[in-house]
Amino acid sequence: MSDTRRRSRGSQEEPAGPSNGVGVRNRSERTGDMGDEDDVVGGPSGISEEDDDPTRRREIRSKYRDLINQVQQNREDMLNPANNKLTDVLEEANKLFVNVRQAREAALDAQLLVLATDLGKEKASQLHAEGSAFDPSAFAEHLLSFMGLNRLEDESGQDGHLEGYLPQGAWQKLANRSESCFKTAPSFHYMLGSFLAEPPPPRQRVERQRRVPSKEAKRIMPTQLKQMEESHQEATEKEVERILGCLQRYFADDSGEPISYYEFVIDPNSFSRTVENIFHTSFLIRDGLVRMFLDNDELPCIAPVEEGEIEPGGASIRHQCVISINQESWREIIDAFDIKEALIPVPEVLSQES
Amino acid sequence: MSQRKKSVSASQNKTQRRSQASLNEDEEASFSQVSSSQVQRARENFTSDQIDRKVAEVVQFILIKDQKKMPIRRADIVKHVIKDYKLLYTDIINRVCRTFEQVFGLKLVETDPKNHIYILINKLDPIQGEPVSMRSVNPKKGLLFVILSVIFMKGGVIKENLVWNSLKKLRVDPGEKHDEFGDVKKVVTDEFVRQKYLEYVKIPHTEPVEYEFRWGLRSEKEVSKLKMLEFVGELFEQDPQSWTQQFREASTVDSSSQRTSS
Repeated sequence: MSDTRRRSRGSQEEPAGPSNGVGVRNRSERTGDMGDEDDVVGGPSGISEEDDDPTRRREIRSKYRDLINQVQQNREDMLNPANNKLTDVLEEANKLFVNVRQAREAALDAQLLVLATDLGKEKASQLHAEGSAFDPSAFAEHLLSFMGLNRLEDESGQDGHLEGYLPQGAWQKLANRSESCFKTAPSFHYMLGSFLAEPPPPRQRVERQRRVPSKEAKRIMPTQLKQMEESHQEATEKEVERILGCLQRYFADDSGEPISYYEFVIDPNSFSRTVENIFHTSFLIRDGLVRMFLDNDELPCIAPVEEGEIEPGGASIRHQCVISINQESWREIIDAFDIKEALIPVPEVLSQES
Repeated sequence: MSQRKKSVSASQNKTQRRSQASLNEDEEASFSQVSSSQVQRARENFTSDQIDRKVAEVVQFILIKDQKKMPIRRADIVKHVIKDYKLLYTDIINRVCRTFEQVFGLKLVETDPKNHIYILINKLDPIQGEPVSMRSVNPKKGLLFVILSVIFMKGGVIKENLVWNSLKKLRVDPGEKHDEFGDVKKVVTDEFVRQKYLEYVKIPHTEPVEYEFRWGLRSEKEVSKLKMLEFVGELFEQDPQSWTQQFREASTVDSSSQRTSS
């Protein structure tokens, strides 16, 4: 059974001409019954030694690949209506196909056929065009002339190789002429050109992002400042009141005896606290809440003024005096009065701040 | 049986449409849901001075965006300029269009009604022999002209190779850095494509992968095929009408666009 089939195939193969169409039909039959024979190597399969020669098969495949490559590389050339390269390739392929015996080579033949068909289709579409055909190569030549190609060096005159050079501004010339085909909106530019090409888009984004936080920052800043000022004013007022409270307490404790000014004001541990105390106490005296006088030993004393004693309008005679104190006199006074601790305790707020 | 099939496919359609809508950003949804009473109320909410200012801001935004000829997305206009005036978008954009036409002689065109992308084109025809703008034309226009005209003359689609080969003949090698254009391949396949002058798409089922070029949406609006054909005819020293097919296409497109613009 298989014997007769093989014989019949052999007889079919002989007349297979160079025509590709026949070759394709032929091949499809071959691959059909070769599917089960391909794995079996050697004599019993019935394929003659000559058909199965690996070197020969490799050679056929390599030739097919070259051909496929050639078609892919020179696509534009092959499409050129002026030549017959596509036909040449097909004839070449037909010659190769005469020796094809197995599926692998046949598959390559099919691949080439796909490419050739594609090219054929494109060539056919060129025929469709009514009126004049458009030749891109000629177009390029005309464009070069328009752009003022310098052809002086055009001696060898070989097509496909680039001779001559385009003068400066050639593309500008083409651009100027082709501008009339475009309805491009002239783009907007700043008059002095300061923001020419690059900055605008990011600039906008940045502005918008910044505007929002800056508003908040502005809103926060003044409130902070106000609080600081208020707290300072308040601190002075509070401190003056506190000192008055101290003075009144000592005064009451001492059963109404005036207190030595220096003992009251001086902080033996801190010169600056001393200065501050003097400063704050001066407010009390200015406001008439505390009076200051010299005692029997001609030393300055202070005592709070009783509620009823405050004279309206500050009508009583006032004296102004300047008290000066420096580190040296401060130490002297501490020694002279033997001051061990401050009568005015250190305020909490200040101790925190320092 | 066939009825069931129909109902199934109908419901599938619906879900598909819904998922597409959700893809089009929630912004899209809020636009379509705007009712006329909402718009009415919004109109009352803003003084005409406020709206005048918004219109001016949108005009400036578009002018600046257009400097690079990149298309302008509605989403960007809303996000950066319109903001709280969103309900009045249609009112504002209509007035923006009017400003562009009457003050600037430009036309704001929605090239893509689905994704809401706008471009600006010139409404006035260039005067022969007069420079179109005070600034000199970008030489890239020449490059673009070559590509667009080859595509048009070859029937609307061309393989990428034809473009590169044509440019090579003009001493522009896409593989090399060009004095005027820099990275030519990038200019052509990226800049021109983003500006919507060109479409650069993969051809399906090609191995190795091949690409083809077509005209982009901007070119369809901005380029006069008739004028292009005239120039090509000039170059070939040939009557433009001898390219019958191209001439027919150019004259129908140009006359129809004139009808819509007037």
